[in-house]
Amino acid sequence: MRKLALVLVCVGTVVGLFSCGKKEPSGPKKLTIAVIPKGTTHVFWKSVEAGAKKAGTELDVNIIWKGPLKESDRADQIKLVEQFVAEGVDGIVLAPLDFEALARPVQSAMERNIPVVVFDSALRGEPGKDFISFVATNNRKGGQMAGEQLAKLLNDKGKVVLLRYAVGSASTEEREAGFLEVMKKKSGITMLVENRYGGATVGEAKNESMKLIDQLKEADGVFCPNESSTLGMLGALRDNDLAGKIIFVGFDATPPLVDALRQGHIKALVAQDPTRMGHEGVQTIVSHLKGQSVPPVVDTGVRLVTPESLNDPEMKRFLGQE
Amino acid sequence: MKTVSADSLTPVSSRFGWSDLLTRLGPLIGLLFVLVLFSVLEPQKFLRLNNFELILRQTAVVGTAALGMTLIIISGGIDLSVGSAIALYTVVIALLLKIGIPSFGAATGGILVAALCGCLIGLLITRLKLAPFIITLGMWGSLRGTAKGLADNSMVYPPVTFLNELLRPVSPDHIWLLTPGAWMMLLLAVLVAAMLRYTRFGRHIFAVGSNEQTARLCGINVEWTKLRIYMLAAALAGVAGLLQFSYLTMGDPTTATGMELDIIAAVVIGGASLSGGQGSILGSLVGALIMTIVSNGCTKMELDNWVQEIVTGGIIILAVTLDRLRHRRTA
Repeated sequence: MRKLALVLVCVGTVVGLFSCGKKEPSGPKKLTIAVIPKGTTHVFWKSVEAGAKKAGTELDVNIIWKGPLKESDRADQIKLVEQFVAEGVDGIVLAPLDFEALARPVQSAMERNIPVVVFDSALRGEPGKDFISFVATNNRKGGQMAGEQLAKLLNDKGKVVLLRYAVGSASTEEREAGFLEVMKKKSGITMLVENRYGGATVGEAKNESMKLIDQLKEADGVFCPNESSTLGMLGALRDNDLAGKIIFVGFDATPPLVDALRQGHIKALVAQDPTRMGHEGVQTIVSHLKGQSVPPVVDTGVRLVTPESLNDPEMKRFLGQE
Repeated sequence: MKTVSADSLTPVSSRFGWSDLLTRLGPLIGLLFVLVLFSVLEPQKFLRLNNFELILRQTAVVGTAALGMTLIIISGGIDLSVGSAIALYTVVIALLLKIGIPSFGAATGGILVAALCGCLIGLLITRLKLAPFIITLGMWGSLRGTAKGLADNSMVYPPVTFLNELLRPVSPDHIWLLTPGAWMMLLLAVLVAAMLRYTRFGRHIFAVGSNEQTARLCGINVEWTKLRIYMLAAALAGVAGLLQFSYLTMGDPTTATGMELDIIAAVVIGGASLSGGQGSILGSLVGALIMTIVSNGCTKMELDNWVQEIVTGGIIILAVTLDRLRHRRTA
C-alpha cells in the first residue's frame, strides 16, 4: 500500500508539473507562429526570444518558442519542425542547425502551405522561393570587421590563432571566412592555427583551447566566431594566465563577454543584434501571412564593440540591455 | 527493508493474479495513460491522425534499436555504445554513397559494418570476461571517435538517393500507408519476437539472462550465444542507423548523442529487467512509443524544455517503480 501511495505521488507530481508548465490558452483566430532557435541556453538565444516575444505582443500573434531538447542536435530540430507542421501552426521561424539537413523538413512545410522564415543561419535553397525570407546578420561582414580590428590592434603583424565553432554551421563559417579573408591580405600576419573546431558548448571549446595552449603561448592575436567559442577560449586564457596578454577579439556581446571586455581580457567584440533578429523574424512572417510582400533577405546589422564604445548609448541595443 | 506492508500478508493466490495482470499489461497501461493524458490536455492538437503517423515515424529509429537492446538486456547485458554506433553507421552509409556505391549496396554495407562492430563487442565481452557495461562504455567513446575520424571531423553530405525517402513524411491523403521506415520497424519487430519465442536461440537468450551458471550446466554454449546476441543487436542498430541517416539525409558523427539512454529507457519501460531474464519486444516498442508521445505531447502543450526533461525523467522513474513493484510481488 505504501508503494502504491508512492506511485500516486509520482503521478501527482508529473501531472502537477504539466499544469504548472502549461501556458495560457490562446484566444481564437490569433495567428500562431512557432519560433525554433538552435538552442535555448545560450544568452544569445535569450535575446532572440525576447525580441520574438516582443514582436508577438506588438503584432498580437501567439509565439511558441521551442528549441531542440538536446542543444545543437540536428535530428531533434528536424523533429520539432515536423511536429509544428503536423500541428498546423500558421508559420515557422527557424534558425537551422544545418545547411542541408533542415532543407527537407522546410520544403515539406512549404508544400503544406506553412510558410517558413529562416533566420540567423543559412539554409540550402533560394530565399523568396524555397522559403519566404532569410533574416540574419551579414556574417561575412562581421568576420571582416573582426579581422580588420584585430589587424589594427596588432599593427598588421604577428601570429594569429582562429578557433572555429562547429562543423556545418553556415553563419559561423561565413564569419571565419570573412575573418581569414582579411588576415590573408595582411602580409605581416601569419595564421598559426585555423582548422580547429571548438564544438557546440563552452566546455568543449575550453577543452579544445587548452589543447592549443602551446600555440596560444606563441600567438599575438586570437579570434573566435561566436559566444560559446569566445567564452571557452576566454576560460582557457584565464586559466593559463594569458588573458589580457594576447589581443583577443570575440563575437557576440553577452554579459560575461562584455565584463571581460571591461577587464581588458578581450580587446574587441563584434556584436550582432539578436533582439532585432528575433523581432524581424516574427515581423517578416506576419507581414507575409497578411499578404504583404517581404524582401528575400533582411540584414539585421553588426556593430564593433570596444572598451571605448561601451558607454555609447546607442550600444545598449547590441548589448541586450534594452 | 523492515517495512511489512499489509498486502504482503494477503494470500498468495490473490497476489498472483494481480502481478500476472500487471506484468502482462504494465507497459500497455502506461501507453494508455500517456495517450489519455495528452488527449485530455490537448485534444485539438494531439488527437489528429497525422500526429499519430508522425509519432510512429519519429519512433522508428529508437524503436528499431530497442529491438536489439531488448535481446541484450534479456541476456543480462547492456549496450551503452549504441548511440555512438548509430552515428558511425550514418557516416559509413553516407561515405559509401559518396564514393559511388549504389544505395542498396551502401545500406547493406552499413549493416555489415554494424554486425562487425557487434562481433567485436561480443568478442571483447566473452574473451576478456569483463562486464558488458565496461566494454560498451569504452566502445561508446571509441565508436564516436571512429565516426568523427571517418567523417574527417565534419558532416558527410552524400548524393540524393531513395534511402532519403525511408522516413519521408507521407502524403496527408494516404496517411494509412505509413512511411517505409515505420514498416521496417514493425516487420523487424515481428521477426525478432518470433525468433525469441519459437527458436532455440531465443530460449537460450532467456536462459543465459536468467541464470548464466545454470544455462552453462544445461549445456548451452553461453559465449557463442552472447556473441550472436551482440551481433544481431548491432545489425538491428545498423538498421536504426540507416533510418537515422534517412532522417538527416546525411552522415552526422555527432548525431544520436545520448540516444542509448532513450533506447535503454524504452526497453526498461517496456518491462524488461536490467538484471536479465525478462523483457519483451512488444513491451520495448510500447516503451519507445511512450517516450515519443511524451516528447510530442510536451511540445504540443508548449512546455519549456526544462519542464519536458523533468517530466520525461519522472515518467521513466514511474515506469520502473511499477516494474519493481511487480517484481516484489512475484518474489
